[in-house]
Amino acid sequence: MEQIQKTDVIVTESVMKVYDADGIPVNALNGVDLTIQSGEFTAIVGPSGSGKTTFLNIISGLDAPTEGKVWLSGKVLSEMGGNELSDFRRDNIGFIFQAYNLIPVLTVEENVEYIMLLAGVPKTERHDRVVAMLETVGLKDVEDRLPTQLSGGQQQRVAIARAMVSEPAIILADEPTANLDSKTGADLLEMMRRLNDETGMTFIFSTHDPMVMESAKRLITLRDGKVDTDETK
Amino acid sequence: MILKIAFRNIFRQKRRTILTALAMIVGFTLSSIVIGLSDGAYSNVIKMFTGNRIGHIQVHHEGYHDKPSIYKTISNYESIGETIQGNTDVEAWTPRVFAGGLGSVGEKSTAVRVIGVDVARETEATHFDKKVVQGNSLAETASREAVIGRGLAKTLAATLGSKFVVFSQAADGSIANDEYTIVGIAESGDDITDRVTCYLHIEDAQELFVLEGRAHEIVVIVSNINKVGKTTEAIKESLNDSSLEVLPWQVVAKSFYDAMQADKQGDAVARLIIMLIVAIGVLNTVLMSVLERTREYGVLKAVGTKPIQIFWLVLCEVVIITIGSIGIGALLGVLINYVFSIHGLTYAEGLTLGGVEFGTMYAEVNARSLMIPGITVLLSATLVGLFPAIKAARIMPAKAMRTH
Repeated sequence: MEQIQKTDVIVTESVMKVYDADGIPVNALNGVDLTIQSGEFTAIVGPSGSGKTTFLNIISGLDAPTEGKVWLSGKVLSEMGGNELSDFRRDNIGFIFQAYNLIPVLTVEENVEYIMLLAGVPKTERHDRVVAMLETVGLKDVEDRLPTQLSGGQQQRVAIARAMVSEPAIILADEPTANLDSKTGADLLEMMRRLNDETGMTFIFSTHDPMVMESAKRLITLRDGKVDTDETK
Repeated sequence: MILKIAFRNIFRQKRRTILTALAMIVGFTLSSIVIGLSDGAYSNVIKMFTGNRIGHIQVHHEGYHDKPSIYKTISNYESIGETIQGNTDVEAWTPRVFAGGLGSVGEKSTAVRVIGVDVARETEATHFDKKVVQGNSLAETASREAVIGRGLAKTLAATLGSKFVVFSQAADGSIANDEYTIVGIAESGDDITDRVTCYLHIEDAQELFVLEGRAHEIVVIVSNINKVGKTTEAIKESLNDSSLEVLPWQVVAKSFYDAMQADKQGDAVARLIIMLIVAIGVLNTVLMSVLERTREYGVLKAVGTKPIQIFWLVLCEVVIITIGSIGIGALLGVLINYVFSIHGLTYAEGLTLGGVEFGTMYAEVNARSLMIPGITVLLSATLVGLFPAIKAARIMPAKAMRTH
C-alpha cells in the first residue's frame, strides 16, 4: 500500500465482499481499489447489483469487507470496535439514504439535533446549528412536525440537514434522489453542490440518476463488483 | 434523548405496549392476591392458633416442653408473671396446670387432660369465656366446677350439671380423686383437643394434684405478633433463670409452624409459574417489537448511536412499561386484597392450612404483597428484556437497513 496522503479521505485496498444468498456465495465487490480525496463530489454509478450500495456501506463501516482494507480519514475501519466505530461514524460521516431513514418518533428539529446530542454538543450551540441548517434546507417552518407529516422531498431535506449539521468530513448519499420528483431532486442536488463548494465537504453518491451523474465532478462506474471506469470532469 | 425515544416508542406502539403491560399487570395482580390471601390466612390461623390456645410465648420449667411431667413445675409463677408483665410488649399472661387422668360421668369413663386455668387471666389472655359455647364459664374463684370439651361431653354423655369425677396421681404420689360439677361445654376450635380436655379452676387443679402455688406453664400474649422473637429474648433476659425455658410459638408448635412453612413453599411455586408466564409474554412482545424495528436500530447505529445506547433504549422501554404496569398492578392488588380482607373468600369445602381447617380466607393488605410481585415482575421483565436488547445492540447496520 502506497503512503496515504493527507488529502485522501477514503482509501480502499482490494476490497471484496461475498454475501451468502441462501447458501450460494454472491460476490458483491471483487477487489476494489479506490482513493477519494477531500472535497470531491463523486458519483458511483453502475447497473443494479454492481455493488454501489455495498461499496458505500463498506467505506462507512456499516458493513465489513470479506477481504481487503478501508482507510477512512487515515484510520483502518476493520481495526475499530463497535462503540469506536459508532463514534467515528458520528463524527466523520453524514448519511443520506434513499428511503430517508429518519427516526419516526422524533420531530424534524430533534432528528437534526440527534447526532449533535450524541456528540455532546452544548444545548445552545445545538439549537443555533439546527435553526441555521433548517433554514439552509428550507424547513424552518416544519421543525415541530414528525417525519410522517412531511412530503418525500421534505423528509429528504431533513435527512440532508441531519447528515450535514455536525459538519462531517464526508457525506455518503445512497440514491438520494430516487424517491423524489425531478424538480425536488434537482433542487436538493443543487443545494448539496452548493454546500460542497461552500464547505469543502466530500460528497459520495451512489446513483442511477443522470442528473446526479451530470453534477458529479468525478464519476466511478462499477460493474460486477469492480471499478470499470473512473473519470474526473 | 434515549429516554425520550424510549417513551415515544412506547406510545407509538400502543397495542403492543398494552399487550406487554397486560401480561405484567395480570401477573403482578395475581401474585399480589395469592400473597395477600395466603398472608391473611396465615395471620388468621396464627392468631387463632396462638391467641386462643398456645399463646405467643410460653414459659416452663427447663425440659418441660420436650418431656412434659407433672413434677416439672414453676413454683413462683405469680412473681414471674409480674416480671413478664413488666415488658412493654406483653399484653397479658396466664398460668396453667396440666395433668392427665381418668374422667368419669356416671358409668362412663375416658382418659382426660386436665387444664387448670386462672379464669380471670385466661379470659383476658385467650378469651377463655368465648370457648364456652354452652352453659357458663368457670367462676373466678375455685368452686369445684368443670368446663369440658364438646367431644368429651359426648363421650361421657355428660350434660350441664352432671357430676364429673377425675382420678389421677398427684405430684406427691397420692391418689388424686375429686368430683366437680359441669357448668359449661367448650369448643376450642380443635376437635381432637375437645375430645379429651376438661378445664378446672387453677386452685382446684392445684389442690387435686397437690401442686399448691405451682404451675406447669405461663402463657404470654404480646401486643404485636411480629415482636414475638424480640419479646422472647427480652423475657429471657428479665427472668435470668436457667431453670426456666422461654419459647416462642414457632418452637412450641413446631409441627404446625413447619406445616405452614411448607404451605408457603407451595405458594412460592405458584408465584414462580405466574412469573414464568409473564416472562414468556414479555419476551414474546419485546422480541417482536425489536424484530419489527430492526431497520430503525440499523439507522440509529448508522448515524452514530453506540451499541450500548441501543441496548439501553430497548431495556428502557421494557423498564418503563414494567414500572407503569407495577403501578397499575399495585393499585389493583391493593384494591382486591382490601375487598377480600373485608368480605373474605369463602370456600365450599373447608381449606386446611398448617393443619388448621377454616372456611373463609381473609386477605391481608401488606407491603409484602406489593414488594414480592414488584421485584419479581421487574426482575423477570428486565432479564427477558436483556436478550432482545443485546440482539438490537449487535445489529449490523447495513443488514438491518435492508429489512422492511
